[in-house]
Amino acid sequence: MAGGRGWKLAADTAHSPAHGAQAIVAAGFGSLACGTALFLDLPEACGGQWLADARAVAEVTIARQIGTERLERCVSVAFTWRGLQRMGLSAEALASFSAPFRQGMFQQDRSRRLGDRRGEDWLDTVIEGGPVWSGNIKAPPPPRPVDPYSAGMERDNTPPDVGISTHAMVLIYADSPQNVDESVQALEAAWAPHGVGISHRLMLKIERGEGEKFGREHFGFADGLSQPLPYDRDGAVLRDGQPVTTPDKINGTPLGDFLIGYRNRNDEIAPGPLVRADVDGAPLRSQTTLPAHPRALGFLDLGRNGSYLVVRQLRQDVRRFWDSLERTAQKLRESDSTASHITAQWLAERIVGRTMDGHVLRPDGTLPAGADGYPDNDFRYFDADQHGHGCPLGSHVRRANPRDALAPTGGDKDVLLDAANNHRILRRGRNYVASGATQDSAGDVGLLFMCLNTDILRQFEFTQQTWLMNSDFATLFEEVDPLVGPDGGMTIPQDPLRRRVQVETYVQLVGGEYFFLPSLQAIDYLSALSPPDGATE
Amino acid sequence: MLQTTLSVPIEVRPESASQLAKLIEEFKQREDKIDGEGVDNFANILNGLPNLHFMSISLFEDVSYDPIFIVEVNIDGAAPPFWFRLETVAGQAIRQMLRCCKRPQGRRGRLYDGVISDSDAQPLGPFMDAMAQPPSVFHHGNRGLSRKRILREAALFRNLRETLDGPQGVACRAMAPALLHASLRKMMLERFDWLADRPEPRITHLERAVDVVRLALFALLVLLVLSAPGIVSAALLSWSAHLAACLLIGAFLALILWRRDKAILSQISLGALSLRTVTLLAGGALLLLALLYGVGLIVGAGAGLAFNAAEAPNWGRALGKTLLSGQLGLLVTVPGLVLWLRALERRDSSHLMPPIDEAKVAQMLQREDWIAQNHMASVVHIRPGVLRALIIRAGHRGLGLLLRVKATDGYLGSMRTVHFAHWAFLNNGSRLLFVSNFDQSWGSYLDDFIEKAAVGLTLAWGCGVGFPPTDFLITGGAARGRLFKNWALASRSVSRFWCSAYPDLSVDQIERNHRVVQGLRKDRLADEQLASWMREL
Repeated sequence: MAGGRGWKLAADTAHSPAHGAQAIVAAGFGSLACGTALFLDLPEACGGQWLADARAVAEVTIARQIGTERLERCVSVAFTWRGLQRMGLSAEALASFSAPFRQGMFQQDRSRRLGDRRGEDWLDTVIEGGPVWSGNIKAPPPPRPVDPYSAGMERDNTPPDVGISTHAMVLIYADSPQNVDESVQALEAAWAPHGVGISHRLMLKIERGEGEKFGREHFGFADGLSQPLPYDRDGAVLRDGQPVTTPDKINGTPLGDFLIGYRNRNDEIAPGPLVRADVDGAPLRSQTTLPAHPRALGFLDLGRNGSYLVVRQLRQDVRRFWDSLERTAQKLRESDSTASHITAQWLAERIVGRTMDGHVLRPDGTLPAGADGYPDNDFRYFDADQHGHGCPLGSHVRRANPRDALAPTGGDKDVLLDAANNHRILRRGRNYVASGATQDSAGDVGLLFMCLNTDILRQFEFTQQTWLMNSDFATLFEEVDPLVGPDGGMTIPQDPLRRRVQVETYVQLVGGEYFFLPSLQAIDYLSALSPPDGATE
Repeated sequence: MLQTTLSVPIEVRPESASQLAKLIEEFKQREDKIDGEGVDNFANILNGLPNLHFMSISLFEDVSYDPIFIVEVNIDGAAPPFWFRLETVAGQAIRQMLRCCKRPQGRRGRLYDGVISDSDAQPLGPFMDAMAQPPSVFHHGNRGLSRKRILREAALFRNLRETLDGPQGVACRAMAPALLHASLRKMMLERFDWLADRPEPRITHLERAVDVVRLALFALLVLLVLSAPGIVSAALLSWSAHLAACLLIGAFLALILWRRDKAILSQISLGALSLRTVTLLAGGALLLLALLYGVGLIVGAGAGLAFNAAEAPNWGRALGKTLLSGQLGLLVTVPGLVLWLRALERRDSSHLMPPIDEAKVAQMLQREDWIAQNHMASVVHIRPGVLRALIIRAGHRGLGLLLRVKATDGYLGSMRTVHFAHWAFLNNGSRLLFVSNFDQSWGSYLDDFIEKAAVGLTLAWGCGVGFPPTDFLITGGAARGRLFKNWALASRSVSRFWCSAYPDLSVDQIERNHRVVQGLRKDRLADEQLASWMREL
């Protein structure tokens, strides 16, 4: 099944996930092709009233509404760690979030692992001068200031300050630009009295050709095709009205890897943040709908039906991308008589691993569309394309989800497929166009990469570091992802002898951060937070 | 070829721990620089120690023990010549570190006095040898490839790749594969004269034979110990009484086991065992029984000769038969031991939330992911009790011998990321050290174990205090991903000094380089071999 469509969250009781999870967890909203991403700057000690007022004019959409009412708009909201701190969430609750979220995407060791920064220098995969926005999170000081074993030579690893601070993100998807604009105006009016400003905004859109079922990213490739298929052995996922309790053989991933509070790949309830009941500044227990935490007595479960949302703004230089490939193709054709078939599109398709229409490359052509007319996502690599003669070993789609491709022998392919599914992410990205830019200009257009996961380290960061940016991936050497990695070589395997081409980087990071996407009950709780006494930073 | 892995643990005077950490850190800062052609970093160390693969120096803290200083080395050849060279390269620095350590008792104390003496310093070697702790289990990735060979094969691979990527590459593409092989072989022979030398075998026939015989003898010994009650019973009782006793008691114990753990036992599937594995196991069992009978014949006949030469053959046959029929005793001892183990497992305490010091983790992270390889070192306490002590010793011995027989292709099964790793007992067997040099990040390395080798890891580490809950030492344990990672993280130490002789080469790439070189050593390759070799280029 292409695109991971066709599943829903159960909604049979008030405790079911569809009554708590934000709608964006369960759907990408392809029918609402217009949109905007608003990155908010919250004042110090702002409490939660600004959120309550915003919801009065544009309520957050939850999963239960999908399919039961005609949605003309979908509103989602997510917070950075610093945003929650400014709203007055208790220090104890703030400490209960996962380490990557607390430390932020640009914590220096994390940036190095993600391939964004090394030492004092931003790498070529980031726009010149470094990212322009982030959560600007300051890692809390080590809990043990005097360490008898310390050599006293530790480096400072706090994230570097970047220009724009982001404390929350609001996504608005709608069926028309007017609908989006009206929502934004209403929200701005609601936020103004609280001093909440928009520090950064992006226009989001789904580019779709005439009669096409899928969107295309700015380079022209079909996008969002490969998605995991969630299941939950306790019945929280439905397909065709029936609970999906066992995994799909190829794309099956437990719901707990995308939604906190459900069983994950470690066969445990995916852990999340918690809050102590009845603390100063927080809503009284009797006034909140947060469930009791299943393990921590005396605490409420702030995480259930929430998730971590990874956001990276990736600028695409469309014209230079194609110009560069045109030059490379021409050079190959001129120097090598066996390269007469190589065009810019041929190279781009090898870089991505799929045709522009989304069909995965095979040694004998492409994989035919599935029964639903979409490009087939129900495939493996080992038997059909072990050596990468169709879809190159280091191509973007093969790195982003290698399925069973990394199996050394046929006997290992099921184990390796299972291992790869231990690191799946639920992608929710959209194309963005900064104001005034067009695809043909050198302006700021690209992908607002977004994905949901409950274990950022095991899922998103693993994918980025161990697959995309791994220079030894699939027995390649000194090559990283040809689409999102820095300039370098790319092997295109073929018999009798591979080709190696030089590819250049035209996808660069503009900004990014780890967000928490709370449930409706958690949003209620946050909306009711009182402003803390004095600044907490 | 002989390769040596060992660690030298020395207890530290707690008051000097901070100074020792500082000395190690300063040593690292001093050595971590480029000072030689063809060497990346640690030029002084790597040039002065030409047979060194990996080396680390760490300081471990523990609330129940005084700090411990551990030097880990992985080298070609034996240890004594290595210590001699280390003396010339870093003798002064190591002596300074040793001065922070406790004086051992007895002969080792006298050696220690000699080493740290200001006026009449004795050589390091005898002291280091006396303190060295041999590994209980070890794995050598790229087994049998010396450092010199790894580096020169890598240089050849790079040269070959540059040739194929350069202007000559186009001409190469136009050649028939056999001609291209011959042409590249000629070219490389001119550039690398060592290619014409006859290479040393990675594992000699003698080494292989010794490995197999040691494993067989170990299995025979385990069989004899486990069947000892059965052998006594077979010797004392009539055949029918012996058979009845073994069947009845065995069935009774198995029934108890089944009633108590039906749910878990019914989930353990043997269907995953391949036909090859089953055949190997059956063949191995038959071979062991034949060996056992042979032992009986020889020992019985030998005893017979001593007392009554005429009866010697009969004595031999009688003992052989008794040993064989004694194997029925396994029907009692195996379920009996499993019942005992399960009783312990049910009462074991697992550490669900081990204290993780974020400041210490930050120090680890600062040192990781600068190159594609990383290092980890961990010390855990061992669970007490007779059965645990037996299982861990026999388990480690068996696993170690099995690895020597099975892991002969440079990899650890489908795990392709382990360079040199070992476990070793510390403090009279009350603590267990694990050190490893591996490719990719610490998290992805543990994921590799969790996804591909959880059973082996649980067997080796499951005896650790606080290890995640196990079932029959087979399921659970390391497969409980997050719990296992937290447990491992809590026991880790900061790798203050660590160096690699080939920091840009993964295990997989070293094997690839080797395959390319092996192909070039041959005049001609069969068609299938040739196609496979061409894909490695």
